[in-house]
Amino acid sequence: MLLDALRCRRFRNLESVDIEPHRRFNILHGANGQGKTNLLEAIYLLSAVHSFRNHTNAQMVQFGRDSATLEARVDRGGHERIVRIEISSGGKQVYLNNSIVRQLSDFFGTVNVVMFGPQDLSILKGSPSERREFVDDAIFNAQPAYATEQQHYDEVLKQRNALLKEPDPDRALLDVYGEQLVQYGADIIMRRLDFIEHFSPVLDRTFRRIFDPDFSASVRYDMKWSSKLQGIERYQEVSVSRAEIEQDLESGLEATSGTERERGYTLIGPHRDDLDARLDGRPVGTFGSQGQNRAFILAMKIAVITYLEERYHFAPILLLDDVSSELDRQRNRQLFDFLRQRDDGQVFITTTHRDFIHLDEDLKVFEVDDGKVIDA
Amino acid sequence: MKSDDPITNLVSAFARLPGIGERTASRLAFYVLNEPDSLADDIAEALMAVKDQVNLCERCCNLTQAETCSICRAPDRDHSTICVVANAQDLRAIENTGEFDGAYHVLHGVISPLEGVGPDDIHMSELLERLQSADANGGTEVQEVIVATSPSVDGEATSLYLSKAIKPLDIRISRIASGVPIGSELEYTDKSTLSRALSERREL
Ligand SMILES: [Zn+2]
Repeated sequence: MLLDALRCRRFRNLESVDIEPHRRFNILHGANGQGKTNLLEAIYLLSAVHSFRNHTNAQMVQFGRDSATLEARVDRGGHERIVRIEISSGGKQVYLNNSIVRQLSDFFGTVNVVMFGPQDLSILKGSPSERREFVDDAIFNAQPAYATEQQHYDEVLKQRNALLKEPDPDRALLDVYGEQLVQYGADIIMRRLDFIEHFSPVLDRTFRRIFDPDFSASVRYDMKWSSKLQGIERYQEVSVSRAEIEQDLESGLEATSGTERERGYTLIGPHRDDLDARLDGRPVGTFGSQGQNRAFILAMKIAVITYLEERYHFAPILLLDDVSSELDRQRNRQLFDFLRQRDDGQVFITTTHRDFIHLDEDLKVFEVDDGKVIDA
Repeated sequence: MKSDDPITNLVSAFARLPGIGERTASRLAFYVLNEPDSLADDIAEALMAVKDQVNLCERCCNLTQAETCSICRAPDRDHSTICVVANAQDLRAIENTGEFDGAYHVLHGVISPLEGVGPDDIHMSELLERLQSADANGGTEVQEVIVATSPSVDGEATSLYLSKAIKPLDIRISRIASGVPIGSELEYTDKSTLSRALSERREL
């Protein structure tokens, strides 16, 4: 996966940017507030069609302008494509090779990125939604259909919650949404279990190699509501069938039917699940030191890349947003050791200090200053 | 909110139509303004007529100018088979395939608690009446119901709800096959896909 050329017009403070990135390392250097992260945001948008900073469409367009344009030429296995996104306050329009994309599900998977920024450093201590997002982003990178499944689940969940808030919900309709929740929910759980089963060994290998050979790192899928299969332990150790998960979801809904009526929302399902991250068998978010937490997250990000390379045979574009300043000297070194050792893989790194970046070949440096990007 | 400026009012009226943004609305408004009066007259007349003269078929709820629609009145159609659709556009899409010679029932919506649309807000009770008494179906007893709501989440929920309501009546009920891409609207589905979805329907 290579980004050969990138063009930004009127995107945030980037009035007019045209760059031809290096196939390996691209260092975006400049003081804070000059537009380095905006450039990463632009690349991320060309992949996910939404902002990792939760910006609205209007916020993404340069102040006082009607619309912004992002365009990239990407190469995947010798296959070249032109991706373009037009953003205005009214919405976004995606183009692939100059044709309008009507269904985003047809577009997802065209550009693959893995993002790592300061906001990721707290995911093990943060809310379960941040960890679900880590899992979902990784799955979505290789299996674009997952986005549609998530959207369906989300729609059912919203309808069901709206119904639960009614004073006297139609019983039969509640059953209908229950059945749909089980169906679409099982889709999501199956994908997540499959990912975690393959990902956890890669993570362990990565952690031992980069940080400490004497520690074991693992992740498990945590479904606290799951009564019959007793959550994580059994789901991890035996392979479960889709039918078992459906049954489990069904009985979970039945068991919580009184409470959910009282509270007015659905209490169980993949939207409540979590990723249980453990270092030597102990939850790293609660028991690990800050250093261990950061090492663990760094290992998770690196392992995602390795996982995608090994299982799906492609290297996603890695976006590193000013993480070096947040990592201690040793871990920062370890990160760059890993990056240099890979045979391939394009990386974009923002930094305020060139010294943080332990790279001296296969690279281009771009100076970012007041919304202008200059090939230095 | 109404403004004192008739142009502003026309622009905001156009902008309320689906698929028309502020810019297109203002282009349309100025176009109408600059054309001879006859254009405005014709549009105004056609708009009023469509609300005045079109009503719902008392049997199938299709749009019609008479009491019952031309499909319900057609003697050569199979009135024992009813295809349930969400709206009149979907009915037209299925008619255009030329593959279906039964009758229809138009719900005029799908169930969506989020938008405050419950089972009682779509024309389901009329359908159940037709299924329960031949009189309500022009004298023909209904043998089969084909649910052709779109394969979106809401379309599926409506279909499931219908099948639960119809099951006890001992009438065969089937769902159009899933050849139609999930989440797409029937209206925009091409003819051959739609014909296949109809012929390969599965029993619920
Ligand atoms: Zn009729």
